[in-house]
Formats: sequence, structure tokens, C-alpha cells
Amino acid sequence: MSDNSIPIVKRMFFREAIAKAVREEMTANPRVFIMGQDVGAFGGSYREFDGLFAEFGAERVRDTPVAEAATIGIGVGAAAAGYRPLVSITYMDFMMLGFDALINYGAKSRYKTGGQLTSPVVVKTTAGALGQGVAHSQCIESWLMSVPGLKVVAPSTPADAYGLMKTALRAEGPVVYIDHKRLFPIPGDVPMEETAIPFGQAVVHRAGLDVTITSHSFMVRVAMEAAKKLEEAGISSEVIDLRSLAPLDMETVAASVGRTGFLVTLEEGQTTCGVGVEVAAQLYERIGARPWARVGALRAPVSSNPVLEPACLPDAARVVQAVHRLLGR
Amino acid sequence: MEDSAIKTLRMMLLIRAFETALAKRRDHGFQLLSTGEEAVAVGLCSALDEKDQLLTGGRSIGPALARGVDPNRLLAELLGKATGTNRGKGGRGHLADLESGFFGAHAVVGGNISIAAGVALARKLEGKGGMVAILFGDGACGAGGLHETLNIAAIWKLPLLFVCNNNQLSVSAARADVLAPKKLSDIGTGFGLPSRTIDGMDVETVAQAANEAAQTIRQGGGPVFLEFLSLRFAAHSTTARETRGPDELAEIKTHCPIRRQMARLREAGVIDAAVEEALEKQAQARVAEAFAFADASPYPALTEVLTDVG
Repeated sequence: MSDNSIPIVKRMFFREAIAKAVREEMTANPRVFIMGQDVGAFGGSYREFDGLFAEFGAERVRDTPVAEAATIGIGVGAAAAGYRPLVSITYMDFMMLGFDALINYGAKSRYKTGGQLTSPVVVKTTAGALGQGVAHSQCIESWLMSVPGLKVVAPSTPADAYGLMKTALRAEGPVVYIDHKRLFPIPGDVPMEETAIPFGQAVVHRAGLDVTITSHSFMVRVAMEAAKKLEEAGISSEVIDLRSLAPLDMETVAASVGRTGFLVTLEEGQTTCGVGVEVAAQLYERIGARPWARVGALRAPVSSNPVLEPACLPDAARVVQAVHRLLGR
Repeated sequence: MEDSAIKTLRMMLLIRAFETALAKRRDHGFQLLSTGEEAVAVGLCSALDEKDQLLTGGRSIGPALARGVDPNRLLAELLGKATGTNRGKGGRGHLADLESGFFGAHAVVGGNISIAAGVALARKLEGKGGMVAILFGDGACGAGGLHETLNIAAIWKLPLLFVCNNNQLSVSAARADVLAPKKLSDIGTGFGLPSRTIDGMDVETVAQAANEAAQTIRQGGGPVFLEFLSLRFAAHSTTARETRGPDELAEIKTHCPIRRQMARLREAGVIDAAVEEALEKQAQARVAEAFAFADASPYPALTEVLTDVG
């Protein structure tokens, strides 16, 4: 490689990939701005906005008080009035405080006004358990998937974080973009050339023949770990990262299960009315019945207790067990 | 003075006639009327110009008319017709007509307050002037959205006029039984906003207060809070039980803002009995036209159920 060659990819952390996407979109579109707690000089709770306050100033990187309901509402209102706010909600659990604005107003604004306005707000939040207890650990993405008009994405790699955030900041209506606490320390290659990843496109992380495992966010890594163990037992797993939960890419899932014949859905949240239930139901509608097992958190709150938290959450061993039971081998 | 006084009276009469006729219909489910509270809507809207936007809670028919929304399209919307402001898809509680400066209603109590602050933030970021008024009831004063939004609006000096139409009742609950502040404008005072409590049954008093507040906001003074004391002549909705007795209601109706304004204009020699009668007839004729338009309009095509969703 000569000295002046431009690298095609650069290894970076999630926070750097997000900052890159947001910086590029803020540069391209003066109507993009950030608001939320600790987003200013502090750079975001996970430093995912590092440098943006210095670059774009307090007008476009706005610190808010602890007021999630009004923060989401103001974001939705500014979006309806022509701006593209990125509203940072530190933990996904706190989104519940802003559901009226996001769900009753934002997601419905285009429909209820007969197309007069849309609310292109991006709510960026962080899901998942990392010792923070019952009200800071939840994965409630399946609640959001049921809302008409709302888009939901949850990447598992820095490259996807970058590409999906760019699409989110250009999308027509409200988007919930979900990070995961356990993904932040894991670097990955991100394209240096500007690339947006369209919503509604799953990606096959690992090709396999015997069973399809669908997942998203941090649980994709758990699925990959399980696939490795299953390989040792002579079972070949195909791992699909859904990435985009609303819209869902059922074509990729159906093509895979059509070949493997078996589906295991994996998520960190609750299995009742979960992402997996939706994947399985839509799969049934497309290609008919296929044996299916779902793996998710136990039906209990996720405690910060050091032994109860892992006891509640799905891990590779549970996925391996589910696959063995499903395949009968 | 004469022209604007007649215009004001004409609008209050239109709202009264519109809502009275609507209350007689049964084919719209139910409606939240503002009969008795016309002075608040009309006085407030006299302070707004075309660059401004008005947002409201669910009690939005009077304010929408006062803002200049076409009565034909407004009624069509309330009756679910395709010619409505929202193509029949918003209905009661979600009326919107951006071109008239009526950004819209949101039927969750207190829910539109933060939305309005977002619209005000957009105005401020654009830097081309224009302000936003958010009209809500006393019921919203107990909701967290108001308090959170007041705090942020004050810190960010948003061009936002908070208008509490205190009609003294949230459905059945009397204001004094459910809200602790002595005056509801004290809520604004607590966040450092210029805040006043004003007679909401007198359209000229309302207009003057709203215009003064708008001036403060337009000069960059940040948000203002106005509480207008009003009286609701009808039940919470057209299908809700009335909680007040006949004697109390009869007394309440003696405070009619329309009669009050008519009396003032008669005394000033601006109108007489003949003009009053003519104005009332004109209002009724305008409402009849709106009903003819709405009734002749079709319901949306069934394909509309899936348009403009995402």
C-alpha cells in the first residue's frame, strides 16, 4: 500500500462509528441536530457524540434536563416542523416516559394529518443488561415493532451502526435506533466511503445447512458462539442478523429456513409477544409450518444481582440446548 | 376598531352556531365543544399572524375556526369525510390545517405541549420570526408534560405562548379539588415566565393580554404563560354526563361572552338589534353551507386505510 492510498475500511468502536455517521449527516444537512442528556461537551454517556459539540456548537448539540417525555416530544414536534432531530435517550427503559409523543403523535402524524406532515425524528437509545438493574436493562424493541409508522433498527456491528444511523437520519418518519451496552467495547471495520444501509435488509452472518438462528443486536454474538459449539457437535447453523426489526426482511429468513428446515429465534428481551414470535408467525404465513424454538430472557425482571442477571439472560448454552431439542439430535 | 370588533363578534357567533348545530347531530360519535369559551379562542387568535402556529388539546373546534380554518373542511373532517382538513383521517381531537397556521390538536391531555415546544424550537432555529401558541385546559396543568416543557422552554427562551383555558373542570373533577396551585398562572411564575390570570369571558381582555404576550415573545423575551378563566356551558363531551345542576348551569350561562360583547358594542353604538340579528343569521347560514358541503362529500376510499401510514 502506498503512503497516499485511502484505506477502504477503518477499525473503530461503535461510538466512533455513530459519531462518524452523525457528523456526516449533520454536515450534509443543516436541519439535523442532537438533543438529549449529556450529549454536549460531555460527548454522550458512551462518548458516541465525541467532538460534535465542539464542531457544531450548542445550537445543534443541545443538552436537555432529565425530562424524557418533553425531550422526545420536542424532538417529535421539531421534526413535524421540518427538522431532523436525533434524540438521545440514555437507556431504552426511559423511552416509556416519551411514548405518547413518539407513538401517539410521531408515528401517527403522517396518517392522522392526511399526509400534511411527517415526524422524521430519530430516537437513539441503548438496550440490554450490564449490571444496571430492573429499570436500566430492558430490551423492549418488540413493543415498538407493533406500532404502525415506526421504524426500528438494532445493529450488531460498528459498520451496521454507521450505515443504519445514516439511513435513520434520512428516513421519512420516526426511527428508533437501538445500541447495546455490551457491544460498545467491541471494535469492527467500518467503510471509510460514505455508505448507508437500507432498512429492511437482514444479513447472513454465518452460512449453515441444518438450522437457521435469527437474532439482532448483542445476541447475534451469542448466536455465533452457539453456532461454533454446534459445529463441534456436527450441526451446521446459519446465523441471520435481522438488523432492521421494522421493517423485517422476511425474504432472507424464509429463504434460509426453506433450506435448513428449522428456525430458532434468539433475543435478549421477553419471548412473549417477542421479536421471535413475529419472525415465526410471518415465516409461517410465507412458507408454512417449520419446527421452531424461541430463546429469550426468562419471564422475570433483569436484576443487577451478579448471579441473577446472567441467570435470567439467554446465553450460548441455552441456544445450543434449544437447537438440540428442536433437531432431536 | 369597528371592523375588528365586528369581525371578532362574527367569529364568536360562527363558533357558537357551528357547535350548536354539531351538537344536534348524532352521526359523529361525540364532540368536545367549547361553547361558552369562545372569547378565549377568538381573543387568542387575534394575536397570531400568518407566520405563527397554533396547537391545542382535544377541545379544538372553536380554536380551529378562530384560527381561520375553513368551516366546510373542518366539519367534513369531524364527520369523517374525504374533503376534511385531514382527509377524514384525524377526526375529532386531531384536526390540523397547517396552511391556516393551525398546526393541530392532539387529543391526549397535555400531550401537545411538548410538541408545540418542538415547533417553537424549529421556528427559533430557522430564525425567521414566527411564534407558537399552545392552548390547553386546566386538566393539563396536572400533567408532567406541561411542567417539563415549561422548564425547557424557559431555559431555551422558546417563542412559545402557553395558554391555559381554565374552564374549571376536567371532565367531572373541579379544578380546586385536583390542582394545588392557588392560581394556575403560578405554575408559569415558578419557571420564571411572565404569567397572568385573566378573565377569559371577555374577548377584548383576552385579546389585549394575548397581544401583549405575543409582543414580549416576538421581541425575544422567551415564553409567556396566560391563564384565562372561562366557563364551559356544556358537558365535557356531547355524550358525557353533565355534573352540574340546572340552577348552576343557568347561572353560568348568564356570563355568555357573546352577549357580553354584544352589550358592549351596543352601548358603544357599533351595533344595534338589527345588526345583531343579521350577524346571527349570517353565522347560521355559514354553518348551513358547511353542513351542505360536508354532507355532500364522500367518505374516504377504503384504500385510504393503508395510505400515509409509514
